[in-house]
Amino acid sequence: MSIVTVQLGQCGNQIGFEVFDALLSDSHSSQGLCCKRENEAYQASCKERFFSEEENGVPIARAVLVDMEPKVISQTLSKAAQSGRWKYGQHACFCQKQGSGNNWAYGYSVHGPRHEESIMNLIRKEVEKCDSFSGFFIIMSMAGGTGSGIGAFVTQNLQDQYSNSLKMNQIIWPYGTGEVIVQNYNSILTLSHLYRSSDALLVHENDAVHKICAKLMNIKQISFSDINQVLAHQLGSVFQPTYSAESSFHYRRNPLGIDWHVRPSLSGPSSLGKMSLNKDLHFNTSIANLVILRGKDVQSADVEGFKDPALYTSWLEPVNAFNVWKTQRAFSKYEKSAVLVSNSQFLVKPLDMIVGKAWNMFAS
Amino acid sequence: TCALWQLLFRVLSPLPAGNALASIALEVQARLVKSALCSQGYPRLALAQLPEDGSQGSRELLLALSWLLARGPVPEQMLAQTRVPLGDEMTVCQCEALASLGPPAPHMEAEGPVDVRHVQWLMGKLRFRWRQLVSSQQEQCALLSKIHLYTRGCHCDQNLGHLSVTEAEMLRDPEGGQKVSGAGAAHNLDLAYPKGLHFSCTPGVGPRTFWNDLWLIPRLLPGDWAAPLDPGGASACSLLSPLRVLLRTLEHESRRLEAVLAWRRAEPVFWQWMDTVLGTCAPEAPAAASQPTFLPWVPECGDGELELVVRELQTLEEELREAVERRRVAWEAKARGCGRGPEWSAARRAFRETVEKELGALQRCWEQDSGPAPAHGPHRLVRREDGAAGDRDLQAAELIRTLRSQEACLEAVLRQLQGQCRQELARLAGALPGLIWIPPPGR
Repeated sequence: MSIVTVQLGQCGNQIGFEVFDALLSDSHSSQGLCCKRENEAYQASCKERFFSEEENGVPIARAVLVDMEPKVISQTLSKAAQSGRWKYGQHACFCQKQGSGNNWAYGYSVHGPRHEESIMNLIRKEVEKCDSFSGFFIIMSMAGGTGSGIGAFVTQNLQDQYSNSLKMNQIIWPYGTGEVIVQNYNSILTLSHLYRSSDALLVHENDAVHKICAKLMNIKQISFSDINQVLAHQLGSVFQPTYSAESSFHYRRNPLGIDWHVRPSLSGPSSLGKMSLNKDLHFNTSIANLVILRGKDVQSADVEGFKDPALYTSWLEPVNAFNVWKTQRAFSKYEKSAVLVSNSQFLVKPLDMIVGKAWNMFAS
Repeated sequence: TCALWQLLFRVLSPLPAGNALASIALEVQARLVKSALCSQGYPRLALAQLPEDGSQGSRELLLALSWLLARGPVPEQMLAQTRVPLGDEMTVCQCEALASLGPPAPHMEAEGPVDVRHVQWLMGKLRFRWRQLVSSQQEQCALLSKIHLYTRGCHCDQNLGHLSVTEAEMLRDPEGGQKVSGAGAAHNLDLAYPKGLHFSCTPGVGPRTFWNDLWLIPRLLPGDWAAPLDPGGASACSLLSPLRVLLRTLEHESRRLEAVLAWRRAEPVFWQWMDTVLGTCAPEAPAAASQPTFLPWVPECGDGELELVVRELQTLEEELREAVERRRVAWEAKARGCGRGPEWSAARRAFRETVEKELGALQRCWEQDSGPAPAHGPHRLVRREDGAAGDRDLQAAELIRTLRSQEACLEAVLRQLQGQCRQELARLAGALPGLIWIPPPGR
């Protein structure tokens, strides 16, 4: 089942590139730690989800690139083509020359409607290429103008035109000590609109990823490229094929089929690398937790700790809220890896901060 | 006598036959037969009074069977239930969907107030599953279309022109050697194509249900309508190739068809004989005011709750009977009061005519809106060039139009009900002081 990715704005396009790159290089990795047939099934599943085939065999990412400036898109296209292993479609991008000036309203009310038809056409072409279409993955930042404004607009359009398809928005939560003056306005406007039209919001906080780079990976001079690569690694380890309890004989069909349950869903992956159970979760209840395990010894891994009722809100049983997906096939040269995707109150505090700052700015 | 009960049960049972049927106790089957016959209007009371252990009453059972045979084409209906579908099929009428709804779920006593968030969560889950279903169906349609397109000109039957999925699969892999999953039950014959052509959702069509149905068909019919298969049916079948299994089932079907033809030839003899049987019965008084009702009875109910339910049903039945009696008496009194003179019968005729006219108008209006009523039962999907459709063929475009107009009607009703709900909620919220009501954004 295939996913169509929509990359919006500078942030969305840069991250999108890293994600496709991470997915494909993991899929071609020779250290899968599993038998050949397993590996082939894994590769086939990954390929079908994110790439389509062309005659000369180079996989083409199932993606639509949108930006209001030409620079980032052309960089992205050329980086992909240079890798030689995959590329973006020739006509899969839409860009203008003006930019959005970090203005959400400009993205949502001006650029969006003006270019609605062209953008939706590109998306439709991509959807038609899919034999079995499972949903959209929309990558955008909250703080800028293009990603946030056009992202909100496009998601709404997708809701109208493809009401039966799942839409997951990958949101980049800006640094607390912000980059953009009006980022708090942009963030709130984005979230309030996505609340109604998106099915799931997968959040990455720049601050959190920055900490991972600094503390876990010991990178001295952290660039956006480092951050994006960490992000892509996390996303890749969520989206690559897995088995779940229901279909233990083939890879899960729908990678977006993460049952987020109630809208709005704000969720954030909160651990990566080795298995680490964060005891702080006791004070932070979730309505859904998904653990994805890859690599050696997954069958014997103990996930009982996740079934503690204290981790979950009062009106939900752990058995309903907790899911595990596994595969023996290792991810990206990590002998063992685990990802926790959590729909919890984790983002309440950051959200409060943003709202507070926005009010202050508005009232001053 | 036991065999007759079982035969009647098999004929009257609305469920598609499966292994489960064989395990139902005789008494339960007998009870269900009585209840089904009663609801279909079977007039003879003697059957209702038969003991359910199969000790006597073979004549009454025979009469009931002949009554059913006289009413409708029973053997043909049973054949239709168990036919082997070679083509890609779908049903267009809603009958099967409605029939398979089953009894409404028992009303659960909520222990204390229900958390609305839990309800929202359930709604979200439902919506999610619904979307998965829709996208699976869309995938299936796309793949069906591809197979029909690519196999144009391959079918020996010129009318059809292209292969169905099962036919294509037969050609591709007649020996079933390309199974992917070795583990698991034999019915997990996963025909996984290299490119991941899975048929996950099965609204009745697709290789996987096809194989499921194949295992079941030979086992469902009692007596010599089924070729003897070993008791370890499923595991034995896993050793046969799909092609051989298909051949076997087709052979069974031919044998059943021949049996029905033989029956039709011998039928006049049967009816002559039944006349004599009926002649030996004592004439019955016309049915009394009320037929006995048959409450479901499961012999091994040790559960206290079930007893409670049975008692509740009995009380309800009593109350209803009394209410019906009262109404009937009152009506009869009123009707008698109207007199039986010629003016009364003239008035009655006038009433009848107006009612018939109104009903006719309603029916015509409904039929106009929704187009010709689609035929019942499954239809084979065939891809054709334009204009080549036969008389009895249904065109997809017309069906789509009909379904769309029905959908529009239903959506209008839904919106109206939602509006009513919203008004009611607003009223309730307005009644509570100090409560601010923010309705969700209407979409």
